[in-house]
Amino acid sequence: MIIEIKNLVCRFGDVAAVDDVSLMVDKGEVVVIIGPSGSGKSTLLRCLNALQDFDSGEIVVDDILVEKNHRHIHDLRLEVGMVFQQFNLFPHLSVINNIVLAQKVVRKRSKEEAVAKGKKLLGMVGLTEKAEAFPAQLSGGQQQRVAIARALAMDPKIMLFDEVTSALDPEMIGEVLEVMKRLAAGGMTMLVVTHEIGFAREVADRVVFMDNGRVIETGPPSVVIDNPREKRTQEFLSKVL
Amino acid sequence: MIEWISKQVILYWDILRYLLPAVPWTILITICSFALALILGMIIGIMRISRISWVARLAGMYINVIRGVPLLVQIFFIYFGLGGILNLDRFTAGVLAVGICYSAYLAEIFRSGIEAISVGQHEAAQSLGMTRFQTLRYVIIPQSMRIVLPPTANEFIASLKDSSLVSIIGMRELTRAGREYYSQYFVDFQTWFIVGLIYLAMTLTLSKVVKYLEKVYSVKGFGSQKA
Repeated sequence: MIIEIKNLVCRFGDVAAVDDVSLMVDKGEVVVIIGPSGSGKSTLLRCLNALQDFDSGEIVVDDILVEKNHRHIHDLRLEVGMVFQQFNLFPHLSVINNIVLAQKVVRKRSKEEAVAKGKKLLGMVGLTEKAEAFPAQLSGGQQQRVAIARALAMDPKIMLFDEVTSALDPEMIGEVLEVMKRLAAGGMTMLVVTHEIGFAREVADRVVFMDNGRVIETGPPSVVIDNPREKRTQEFLSKVL
Repeated sequence: MIEWISKQVILYWDILRYLLPAVPWTILITICSFALALILGMIIGIMRISRISWVARLAGMYINVIRGVPLLVQIFFIYFGLGGILNLDRFTAGVLAVGICYSAYLAEIFRSGIEAISVGQHEAAQSLGMTRFQTLRYVIIPQSMRIVLPPTANEFIASLKDSSLVSIIGMRELTRAGREYYSQYFVDFQTWFIVGLIYLAMTLTLSKVVKYLEKVYSVKGFGSQKA
């Protein structure tokens, strides 16, 4: 198990955003988390790389215990890459420097090595010719592909995707999902929060349906998406499909 | 009439020649005190947003105290109060007073500049494994630069004007030289007109420099970046 989440609880005031969630993820597994807005999907993801504190429970990521006082936070974040809904590229840096920065200051790579790695990854996401452009000159879909390349440049063992297509124009969603599919096919361990049910059906090894902070149903897409047992899953899917 | 005009021209020229040697001192005081204000302001501004609460509170107190006391009083306090104990000369005391005063204003400008950058930028940097310090240094502060440049430049121009207050402790800069000239020759209108004109020439020049810097610091397409 590369990720072990046991009885995770994360409260915002009186509301339990994540309410007693347990989840195990194998190396190389692609887990897609679906569910209505406010069901705690994103919060669960953010707990995994300590962007979000949690109240109780235990998270172990690649043998690193995720703790409240963040003693191993640095080691943890090296293993876990994250892509955000709002891209969050660094607007003052060119595309290539977005990818090079953390490689240099965190991974301590030489500039040549970091640039070479960055160019290779830009090729992988199909944006070789945009290396010198600035984020604001790119479309949303292009920015998100750069964000994926930036996260991958750190050689993470796990990739977290937090609604990465939700802020995109419809015609750009495909190009981002395409990159993610290739990544999944390459054996990356992925946790994907998304509303793209088609993507879940095609790529997920396992689908987790969450509602009100709880895991309602989990299983292969052929079950959770095509033949859900739980009533709430059925209701949700009937609305989004 | 012609005689009057030529007399006036000679008078103005005489005043100008008397005052100009003092101008470098005004510039030196301004540059030294503002350099001090930049360094102190950056430190205090970052302390202000520290997660360690007593550090943040200490910085807050510094800002409130310094901003709440008139600069003139601070100059007196540092030169006559502290100066007596620490043996400060006029120049050092003046630079310290103006520098400390402006550091409080700059700290607030820097703090607001840092806070103006979206949470997403912090999270993106941290998710890449950067420490809080690295995040500030490589991601947040470079973006804040463009935001804080105009108000910081305004403070620089204001500090140039406020350097005239240092004349009160006998530091011989532009305003002091004006007072000297006036007390020797008793031409008030012409003297202070020229003093004002020299300050104006300096501040307008600085405004132009600031405009240029703003252009240099702008990044391609950055202005249209959606939040």
